[in-house]
Amino acid sequence: MRMCYVMAVMLLACISCNNGAQQKKGPFQFLDRLSDYHFFEGDLKLLQPRKGVTSYELATPLFTDYAVKDRFIVLPEDSVLTYAGDGLPQFPDATFIIKNFAYTDTLHQKVMIETRLLYKDPYDHGWKVMNYLWNKEQTEAERWLLGKRIPITLLDDNGEAHTTLYQMPNTNDCKRCHINNSTLTPIGPKWRNLNFTRAGHSQNQLQAWAGMGLIKNLPDLKQVAALPVWTDSVHHSVNDRARAYLDVNCAHCHIRGGDAFNTGLFLDYESTAKVPGVLKSPVSAGGGAGGLDYDVVPGDAANSILHYRMNSVEPGTAMPELARTLVHKEGVALIAAWINEMPKR
Amino acid sequence: MRIYNVILAGMVAASLHACTNGPTNSDGYINHLSFGPGEETKIAEALLTLKDSSKVELKEGTYHFDNLSIAQLKHILIKGAGAEKTILDFSAQSQGGEGLRVTDVLGFTIDGLTLQESKGDLIKINKSEDVVVSNVRAIWQKADSASGGYAIYPVLCKRVLVENCYAQGASDAGIYVGQSDSAIVRNCKAYKNVAGCEIENTSNAKVYDNEFWGNTAGFLIFDLPDLSKRGGHVEAYNNYMHDNNERNFAKSGSFGSTWGVGNAAPGSGIIVLAASDINLHHNKIINNNSAAIAVVSGFFIDEKAAEKMNDHYFPIPRNIKIHDNEMQVADSFPTAVYAHHTGKVLVGIEQMLNAQDPSRKNARLPFITWDGITTNILTGGKGVNPDSLCISQQQPNLFVNADALNIGKPSWKPTTDVTPYVCK
Repeated sequence: MRMCYVMAVMLLACISCNNGAQQKKGPFQFLDRLSDYHFFEGDLKLLQPRKGVTSYELATPLFTDYAVKDRFIVLPEDSVLTYAGDGLPQFPDATFIIKNFAYTDTLHQKVMIETRLLYKDPYDHGWKVMNYLWNKEQTEAERWLLGKRIPITLLDDNGEAHTTLYQMPNTNDCKRCHINNSTLTPIGPKWRNLNFTRAGHSQNQLQAWAGMGLIKNLPDLKQVAALPVWTDSVHHSVNDRARAYLDVNCAHCHIRGGDAFNTGLFLDYESTAKVPGVLKSPVSAGGGAGGLDYDVVPGDAANSILHYRMNSVEPGTAMPELARTLVHKEGVALIAAWINEMPKR
Repeated sequence: MRIYNVILAGMVAASLHACTNGPTNSDGYINHLSFGPGEETKIAEALLTLKDSSKVELKEGTYHFDNLSIAQLKHILIKGAGAEKTILDFSAQSQGGEGLRVTDVLGFTIDGLTLQESKGDLIKINKSEDVVVSNVRAIWQKADSASGGYAIYPVLCKRVLVENCYAQGASDAGIYVGQSDSAIVRNCKAYKNVAGCEIENTSNAKVYDNEFWGNTAGFLIFDLPDLSKRGGHVEAYNNYMHDNNERNFAKSGSFGSTWGVGNAAPGSGIIVLAASDINLHHNKIINNNSAAIAVVSGFFIDEKAAEKMNDHYFPIPRNIKIHDNEMQVADSFPTAVYAHHTGKVLVGIEQMLNAQDPSRKNARLPFITWDGITTNILTGGKGVNPDSLCISQQQPNLFVNADALNIGKPSWKPTTDVTPYVCK
């Protein structure tokens, strides 16, 4: 009899353990097709957001082979972004961030390449990544883990044609840039990088969002940091624009806790170094440093490793390491100007 | 009653299993995957979708990859059929910094395979814990500056074991443990790299029973400034460093750079740079024809080293013990030394010693070169051996205090008296 009792207890323990696992829904599984999410209305490739899907832009965006990018954020119903200081908004669980990559072909047509999703999984409150590859017919994008090298001929911002093998990242590549201190996070939509007025809009983007009821606790905009628009030479100095550019293009890795923590070169906008990289020797760059001695040589871009690596497309040398097969001429020119205007030492 | 017992035992086992999700296989891994050559795409996909506690077996044969990565997992084993049998070739690498990259894995083992010919590093293991690299060959056939920097490259890791490995052709260090804590490198070989093995900003490391030969420098223990942590507490023993006399083909900083492996002079056996609490003993250091052992401070290569001092960096090596090593050198410097910036300094020291003292009869540079820079320059102290350099070796022509602070000045006077530094 006693034995039966023990058995019953064991049985209960076992059931409760199993139940626990079942009651909590499993981790989020990304759907097979982009259209399965119903983010958009009408022809999928037009990316017309349905209600609740909000398009946004960044003051200074990441360069990806002159790709044309569309960005959206999808908050669950009755949820808002919460402002709690600089950096990223506090996103509610079940937020999607959508970033679509396309290029302009030689006929000036927009050709869809890939769509990247970030999802904040209520299961563990962590962000997850997935990528979708557009089909040739441009009617659908399919879930695609592996990454792909895609031959394209694109027009750059000046209408000049470039033929290249576009690098669609695999899901681990995504993590490389999106992980800081072992936690996956969004990179782009920091308050400072959302805090500007989009081209063709009359209202500041954050103000507009606040008006739509998408943000909680947003202080007066004067108190919210603003990242300079890297192309805006009217309102911003070369230094400010260069630091904004480096922040967005480099600092996801070149930040304490980031993938390039080991290099000791920190390029985030908030970096304590007033001028990062100046007369700093490389640590583990190997041949990637091109035989040069310092990351930044004031007044001498041509002898600065930072400039050298941004100006290269060689694997092992090119920076950023991923998702760039062409040199961003305009970006490199800005960094060159920034270094060259520093007083020589 | 007995039947109830059996049922109960079964229930207990079942419930334990359900609750802990424990290993179901005797090798300790829950998930088992196995692949052969030709299944490269499947392998790449498998690594992207790996679950915790997975063993990935790669059967005998040659595999061709662009690059591979493993991220954010626990308890992973990559197992080949043997170093000579399973070969992962990365000559098609088109992007990224390495052939195989491992990030944020707690419990990572790679065993029994060859990695070769990547554009960047061959295997980089970043921010991981309990890392084992065993029976791995990591090779570039052509040893020049086009090779990647590091063949086997754990960095920012905790508890690392590199064992029975072979590294060749790296344009920086063959086996490089950087910014890590608790590392062992043993029974490894490194050939035709700039540095055979390097322990950099890594604390609590043991390096023993290795053979490093045919490199520019056999073994380096470096602490560099501006990094995430300080190194030190490194013991190296029973190693055989020999015939490390090759030209320094490191691209970065080969000439004129202040920091890094470019500073390693051809013909170096062991170099200690700015690292403290080091014990070098019972090594065979043979025919490294510049300096068998060099101990130098950060000031030796950067006069502004003091400006970089903080919790993570102290430029002057303290508590360096050198004892019971077997050392020999050949009659002359290696040719490559004359084209190298620190190499020329070593040549200059030998010339100066012989000019000062004809009774040396043009003897070689002594086995141990010390730059002679002590914490006295920071404290204003006058102590003879404030940093507890301790040498216990019986060889003649053993030691030179290079008086590095005065090189190039009329007052420069390298000296060879080891007495103040003999272990008490």
